[in-house]
Formats: sequence, structure tokens, C-alpha cells
Amino acid sequence: MITIKLNGSNVEARRGMTILDLCKEKGISIPTLCYHPQLTPTGACRLCVVEVEGARTLVASCHTPVAPGMTIQTHSPKVIQTRKMIVELLLSAHPDFCPVCNKANVCELRMIAADLGVGLPRFRTKKRYYPIEDDNPYIIRDLSKCVLCFRCVKACREVKMANVYSVGYRGHSSKIIVDNDQPLNKEVCRQCDVCVLFCPVGALVLREERFRKISRKPFIIKG
Amino acid sequence: MPEKRIVLENCGVIDPSDINTYLSRDGFKALEKARKHMTPQQVINEVKRSGLRGRGGAGFPTGLKWELCTKSPEKERFVICNADEGEVGTFKDRYIIQNDPFGIIEGIALAGYAIGASKGYIYLRAEYHYLRDLLENAIEQAKTKGFLGEKNNESFGIEVREGAGAYVCGEETALMESIEGKRGEARYRPPFPPEHGLWQKPTSINNVETLANIPHIIFRGAEWFSQIGTQQSKGTKVFSVSGDVEKPGIYELPMGTPLRELVEELAQAKDLKAAQVGGASGRLIPEEKLDTPLAFETVLGAGAVIVFSKGRNIIQVVRRNIEFFAEESCGKCVPCREGTQVMSDILRRFSLGQGTKEDLTILEELSNAMMLASLCGLGQAAPNSVSDSLLYFRSEYDT
Ligand SMILES: Cc1cc2nc3c(=O)[nH]c(=O)nc-3n(C[C@H](O)[C@H](O)[C@H](O)COP(=O)(O)O)c2cc1C
Ligand code: SF4
Ligand code: FES
Repeated sequence: MITIKLNGSNVEARRGMTILDLCKEKGISIPTLCYHPQLTPTGACRLCVVEVEGARTLVASCHTPVAPGMTIQTHSPKVIQTRKMIVELLLSAHPDFCPVCNKANVCELRMIAADLGVGLPRFRTKKRYYPIEDDNPYIIRDLSKCVLCFRCVKACREVKMANVYSVGYRGHSSKIIVDNDQPLNKEVCRQCDVCVLFCPVGALVLREERFRKISRKPFIIKG
Repeated sequence: MPEKRIVLENCGVIDPSDINTYLSRDGFKALEKARKHMTPQQVINEVKRSGLRGRGGAGFPTGLKWELCTKSPEKERFVICNADEGEVGTFKDRYIIQNDPFGIIEGIALAGYAIGASKGYIYLRAEYHYLRDLLENAIEQAKTKGFLGEKNNESFGIEVREGAGAYVCGEETALMESIEGKRGEARYRPPFPPEHGLWQKPTSINNVETLANIPHIIFRGAEWFSQIGTQQSKGTKVFSVSGDVEKPGIYELPMGTPLRELVEELAQAKDLKAAQVGGASGRLIPEEKLDTPLAFETVLGAGAVIVFSKGRNIIQVVRRNIEFFAEESCGKCVPCREGTQVMSDILRRFSLGQGTKEDLTILEELSNAMMLASLCGLGQAAPNSVSDSLLYFRSEYDT
């Protein structure tokens, strides 16, 4: 057991656990997008950043292990401002058709944005538009909505152990690809919906669910 | 302070294709001294006492990095010589490789001896492909003389690996991914490379210039080395000067030399407006701050100095930097992938005279978020010139 100062109070932590694990135990909620409890951490979205005293930058809580004597602030103004900016960046690169999306405005990205009080982003940038990939019988991929969390890549590799996906291109043009960027149409995908379950937004859906009515109430977009 | 040649001592003096010319100038004496008379720990202690810090940009103490590698129970360890030299405006590593490949090889062999590595790699940037033969020839000759072993053997061999032209592959963890045959993208840290590096084995990754310093330190001793330089930056630094100067090129100076001396006296800049120290990710230094000493305490980076004269438009300079990062971002983390894109959009508007006050606010907030939250040094350092230009040249952002 080690002692850590978390938001001003001393708490006990186990060696090897991440800051995020600790916060969960203590009932502190931290937004995460690329992290998923069933997958190894990726550290891509940076939404889970927290302030650790003495560190040059903020640190991502989902992959940073606790260390003795750490002093952590999970909701300082600096942290909140940074998280808000990251959400704005994600939204600015995301298409605007939430109302007609299969996830009908209740995806993880929208929920995180609502939690942080981010409405429409203050700036616009290039979106990544791709044709919808629906020429396979199992999964429909609409990569325009992809937030590049890499969860499908990891789920396919770590849960299904199939390695169908990888990452192609770089920078703003990065894309989750199949083979040398072919539309998804793999035999292994028959009767497997692992990646679909892990997608936080509406980029991956099962064909039969594509037009199913969603019963949850949509969020109101502020802004 | 005049120029002082330590790292470049043999450059232009020896024949880079003939090991005998290197041997005649005390070449490989340091390696012999270490292998015969010093334990690996003594080599590490010597480097620690010398105060040598990494020349690749981050300035991490080299001896400490090596010591961390030896702390791991894992027996298979690696040394990597980072010859990716991707930073805009740096060409010092190329100059060293071209003129004194043996010095680098001796440095790598010493690092290998110190940390108990089984193998060394030289990661050569794709654009330096034409230097590969020269390097491999030098390795071959060192092997014939008995200083190195075979490539895949206990006796420590060195293998040259080439990149494919990505800037981010100079970043230590992306470089390791690249050697492993994966997509060049940064890993999260901790664990740091001395603990889990190449193939998750303890790895010391050092810059070309860092390694080229090692033989001199071991041969002449830490005391001699630590007398040169400043309190926290020992030895010399090799600078690559380019831009609006009469005499662009390579200069080796003791640490702590004022920037003015380098750009005005040696490189003969006229009508200087600003100098960017550290390449595209470096700091923008305006004329009035030109007396800043060049050292880790103040400003240094990898030693690229790009000079801009009065006729240059700072917004254009900064915009060009950001466009470079938008192109070179690996695309893994959000702040860098989207942030560089948004920044380059905003800077394009400013360069067309269409920027707004709101844009300025966003530029500032975005710079902060990228510095604080990006996964690797690329995204963290990308906004440097933006924030410096907002500090020193704000009037050019007319809204
Ligand atoms: C985006 C990026 C690019 C880098 N490129 C280089 C490079 O081209 N050459 C280099 O030696 N170090 C480069 N570095 C620094 C390395 O990550 C690493 O710190 C260095 O190789 C360690 O060696 P040193 O301790 O001898 O400086 C880069 C870092 C970043 C973040
Ligand atoms: S900062 Fe840029 S280069 Fe580094 S991991 Fe993030 S996207 Fe990749
Ligand atoms: S949840 Fe930690 S970086 Fe994405």
C-alpha cells in the first residue's frame, strides 16, 4: 500500500494500479474515450488527463501508474480547460449529423461533451469524410464518424485475436484500415460484433441494427 | 568564446573510409581503456561525473540513463544511436557521420559495454540513405580490427536500420516501434525505454552527438570535460546554423556561449529580426534577447539555429512550422492530430489578414492544451513558436 494525496486528501493505493483505477475506487469520475476496462490502455484521446505535482505536463490517468507521494488534482481549472479543448477538437473534426446518426445523439462523445458543458465548438476544421462501407453482410462502417480512439483495433486484436484492423496514414488523415485500406469485408467478421460493441460513436454498427429505433432520449445540443 | 572542437576534432582530419587514420589519432583507445581497466559501472560513473546531457533535444543526463538500464533484471539489452536527425534545420549529425563515423561507433560500443547490451542499432533517417555504405564500411572495419562482434552475437555487433522519412520516428518510442516493424507512433510513458524499450527490453537511446562525446570523456576523463560549459550544461554543443546568414554551417562552441556570438560574429547575420533555436519545435528568440546564453538552462534544443532577417514575416514563419507539424503528426493523440490542423487553419487566416480576436484566444488556449496534454514531444513542442510569436511579435497578428 502506498499513500497518495488525491484532491487534497490522503488516500491509500495499491502499487501498480493506475491513477484512473484509484479515482474509480474513490468515486471520482474522470472522462475517458480511448480507454476501455477490457482493453490495454492506448493513451490516444488524452481526455483523462490529471494534474500531478512536479510533472512538466498533465498526465493521462488511464495509463499512468500511481507512485508513492504523488499529489494529484483531478479537476483543477487547468485540467478542466484542457479537457474542454480536447472535446472541442474532437467535435470540430466530427460530422454535424448527430440527429440522424444511429446513436441518435447519445454516443459517448456527446455524453462527455455534455458533462463538460461543451456545446458547439468555437472553431471548425477539416472533417474526414469517407464513403460508407456497407458492401459486406455483417458490419457497416461509417468512418466519417470515427474519433480514432483505436478501440476497435484493440478489441479485434485483444478480445477476438483476429487483427483485422490497423492504422493507416498519419496526422489528420489517419484512418482505421483493413488490409491495405480495403472496405471491410472479411469472413472472420461473420457473426462477430466485438468491435461494434467497443465503438464509442456511431462509426461501427451491425447491419440489422442500422435503422433500429433508439429508445433513449436524445440530448439537446447547446451552443 | 571562440570555437572549440571536441566532437568535431577528427572531422576533416581523418579519412572516414579508413580506420587506420582514426586509430592514429588515439581512436578506439577509450574503448580499450574501458574494456581493460574499467568495470561497466566505472564507465557509467565517469559519464555521470562528466555531466554529459543528451544532445538530441531533451537534455536528459546520459550517465543516469545508462544506469537506469542496468537496474533492470532483464539481461538482453540494447543501445540505439538516434541518427534520425529530423528536426528542421539540423544537419550536425550528418556532418559527424560523414566525417567521423568511427567516433560514433566507438561511442556506441562504449555505451554497449557500460549497460551490458547485446546489440547496437543505428537508426538512420531515410534521407541519409547515401551514408549507409559509409557507416557499414566503418562498422566492418571496426569488426576486422576486433572492436566489434558479429551483428547477432553476444560480442556486441552494430546494425544499421533505416527509417522511411517520418519526423516522428526520431522520437525515441516511435523509433523503437519503427525498428520493430510497426507504425511509427509514440508509446505512452512510463515505462521509459531504460526499463521497457526496444522489444520491451531495457534500451538506451542516444543521439549521434551524445555518443560522439563518449570516447573523449572516457579517454580524457570526466574532470577535463566538466570544466567546459556552464553549471548545468557541460561540454560543447554542435550547432547547425541556417537562414539569413552570410556563413551558414556547422559550429561547435562551449555550452553557455551567447546566441549573439554564434549568429552575428560567426555566422554573420545582418539585420536580424529573430532566431529560432531548436528547429521548428524550438523557441523563437527576438533580436533584443540575443545575448541569451545557449545552454540547457536557457535555450538549446538539438542545436538548430534558423535566422530570420528584418524582411521576414513572423506569421509566415510560424505558419510554416505548424504546417510541418500537421504533416508530421503521427495521428495517434487528439491534441496534436486535430490541434495542429486547427492551428494551421487559424494561421492561414492570419497570414491572409483575416484573423479575428476570437482566433487569438483560441490560438492561446490551444497552445496550452497541446503542450499540456499531447502524448509525445512532437505535440508538446509544436506550439512553441506560436506562443513565442504571440509573446514577442503580437503586433504582427493584426485583428
Ligand atoms: C518529435 C520528436 C523528434 C525527435 N527527433 C529526434 C532526432 O531526429 N534525433 C535525435 O537524436 N533525437 C530526436 N528526438 C529526441 C529523442 O526522443 C530522444 O530524446 C533522444 O534521441 C535521446 O537521446 P539523447 O539523450 O542523447 O538526447 C526527437 C524527439 C521528438 C519528440
Ligand atoms: S503528439 Fe503528435 S506525434 Fe506525438 S503521439 Fe500525439 S499525435 Fe502522435
Ligand atoms: S482515456 Fe486516457 S488517453 Fe484516452
